[in-house]
Amino acid sequence: MLLSIRGLEKRFSGARALAGADLEVAAGSVHGLLGENGAGKSTLIKALSGLVRPDAGTIRLDGTPVTIDGVAEAEALGFRFIHQELSLVPHFTAVENAFVGRRYPRRGPFIDRRAMAQAIAEVARDIAPDLPLDVPAARLTTGQKQLVEIIRALTGAPARLVVMDEPTASLSDGEARRLHQAVRRLSARGVAVIFISHRLDEVMALCDRFTVLRNGATAGSGAISEIDRPGLVRLMSGREELAAAPRAVPAQSPAVLTVSALPFGPGEERISFAIRSGEILGLYGLVGAGRSSLMKIVWGARGHDEGEIRLDGRRLRPGSIGDRIAAGGAYVPEDRRHEGLITSRSIAENLAIADLTAVRLQPGLPLTGLGALKRRALAIQAALAVKMGSPFDRPLTLSGGNQQKLLFGRWFGRPIRLLILDEPTRGVDVGAKAEIHALARRFAEAGAAVLMTTSDMDELLALSSRVLVLAGGRITAELDGAALTPARIIDAAFQHASRKDPAA
Amino acid sequence: MTGFVRRFGTLAALLVLIAAFSLVSPGAFGSAGNLINITQQMTLLAIVAIGATVVMAVGEFDLSTAAIVSFGGILAVTLFKLGVPPPLACLAVLLAAAAFGALSGFVVARFEVLSFIATLSVGTIIGGVTFWLCQGATLFGDIPAGFRDIGRGTLFGLPTLTWWLIATGLAAWLLLDKLEIGRRLYAIGGNREAARLAGVRIVPNTMFAFTVSAVLSALVGILLTARIGSANPTGGGGYLLSAYAAVFLGMTAFREGEANVPGTLVGAAIIAVIGNGLTILGVSTFLQDIITGSIILAAVLVRRVGRQGG
Repeated sequence: MLLSIRGLEKRFSGARALAGADLEVAAGSVHGLLGENGAGKSTLIKALSGLVRPDAGTIRLDGTPVTIDGVAEAEALGFRFIHQELSLVPHFTAVENAFVGRRYPRRGPFIDRRAMAQAIAEVARDIAPDLPLDVPAARLTTGQKQLVEIIRALTGAPARLVVMDEPTASLSDGEARRLHQAVRRLSARGVAVIFISHRLDEVMALCDRFTVLRNGATAGSGAISEIDRPGLVRLMSGREELAAAPRAVPAQSPAVLTVSALPFGPGEERISFAIRSGEILGLYGLVGAGRSSLMKIVWGARGHDEGEIRLDGRRLRPGSIGDRIAAGGAYVPEDRRHEGLITSRSIAENLAIADLTAVRLQPGLPLTGLGALKRRALAIQAALAVKMGSPFDRPLTLSGGNQQKLLFGRWFGRPIRLLILDEPTRGVDVGAKAEIHALARRFAEAGAAVLMTTSDMDELLALSSRVLVLAGGRITAELDGAALTPARIIDAAFQHASRKDPAA
Repeated sequence: MTGFVRRFGTLAALLVLIAAFSLVSPGAFGSAGNLINITQQMTLLAIVAIGATVVMAVGEFDLSTAAIVSFGGILAVTLFKLGVPPPLACLAVLLAAAAFGALSGFVVARFEVLSFIATLSVGTIIGGVTFWLCQGATLFGDIPAGFRDIGRGTLFGLPTLTWWLIATGLAAWLLLDKLEIGRRLYAIGGNREAARLAGVRIVPNTMFAFTVSAVLSALVGILLTARIGSANPTGGGGYLLSAYAAVFLGMTAFREGEANVPGTLVGAAIIAVIGNGLTILGVSTFLQDIITGSIILAAVLVRRVGRQGG
């Protein structure tokens, strides 16, 4: 056994993060590490990377006990970590990024760029043959950046174990597939991979073994071939998977949002669609198909020159977020940390920032009342079942699912006519996912038009009453009812991908 | 316990400094008269620092403050020479400064120019205008006695300057901590994109912050001129670095890592106490700068090391 962890325990100021976790990983295997948020996955990984010192338990490498006191020691043992938040230098190419923090090949006192390029080209040929190596990281897609991280992990001293923390969370299916190929090539080289993911289908397809953590302890492990998806969900949550509620197709209700002749995509083609009251419209497309950009135009975070967007018949000025909010719009962005939460301010202020008039000391005065802030926060906490301490704590003290609920709660207390959801449950555990889905349905049932995009096929199918597929700047399919199947969606998403995919 | 040290450690450092100087020099430093005098000495620095605090709340820097202090004094005296009545002249100075501040804020927010660069450029322009107005000379004379009273003497038993400190400090604290616009400014400083997507308007709010900073700097230029009875085109030069030193010291107080008005006042007081105390002890001004700089560095380092340990 390459890596063998037994009975790992760790407490943080009283709270048990790990309570006897076991993990065995063989060389050349792809090992799925599963568990809800807070199950102890990240603490376990931090123990491997030397960021956390376990209180008890052993870590053995090739049967020999090791203590890992720091990042450098983890590196020396051949452990490599690819975190969810990528850490590439934006204006460096893949080659330059791969050597950051590594020993540069030299000719005399100078860096030998040719040797660098050769070394990386060799690794890339094996792992990701179609990755452009001479393009700055800023111009690469998220999926391509992941590939650069993998190449970087293989540069320098030989890697024995690569840990990937939700690498496909923000990738479309096409890009995820490319990443899976790279992972398989890694394992073919004899490198062990620990693969953390919330996407069970992916784990079933990619991994050969699994370990499930629950409440800091190993709840089960074994060969993927001997377990099925419901079995994994049972192990993770101790309960059955929440079945998708049947899609209630709304009756002929009036259109709430109408988007007409909006110039879009590289060819400036015009797209038009409408969402009726009570309807959840799912938008699907590969990364780079322009989903997020379309959502931002509808929300007014980006302008548009032609075309028209109307909410309840009122024309919304291009690029005016204020117009949307005034007309009853609400937006839950894709990236909680960078576009959603103001992490330096309290939970209560994060809930109030979209409408500070709701927390006034006196209705007529522009003074914010601490009591009003607190009351609003507690009301939202109760309505959404947010697990939090004080409303004046910082939002990052909460789990991912609870942080996500704050972004919904921000819009509470006013009539919502349009709800825009960009990847509503990214990095959220199974339980909170179901709650957030229920929340989105609740807004729809109250008469709002919901515009959602997600890369998670299960989520798309569970929530949408209708799906639009974007490819190459066009709507390539509009699917509902019996036509709404994964095969039809994927087929439409790839209609232009062969020509337009930047990675090809 | 560590939380308490974190919130109030900087305030404690100020009290320790005062106690130490009082022990060494009980008669001169520790007297009530001198302590009140310190509040007067810190006023001009503190007002510039309060302006800097408002700009730091939106996560930006304003490097034009020193230039605006000099500009404020020179423009005021230039208008006096033209026979403009003092109240009108002061209003004109504040409005001119507001226009410069709004310009910086607009460039920073609308075109997403780094505030370092934008305010360095605007500050350079203001410096040029200042030298052009006075032809590079210090301006004396034509300064009405009534005008000079806003920067000297006492009112209800406290130095007039101390009242300015109290008034601007209170107003800025209300602005940042109590008024809605303060929440918006801090939201922009905390996460500009998140604030924008939640409906906070970036351009007008950022312009407002820079305008406040510019107006307060110009006010300091006016008060400085009233106090010393002349205006010098480089008179504000010393305020930029010490003002930001006060803000950074203040960011270590009360609230973790955020510019805040009470903290800035404590920071300005620390700088003023060190300056006053060392002068009383007869330490040369060069050595004073070295000591002040070292103390600020030490204060910030102690907190960083403390945080890594905790």
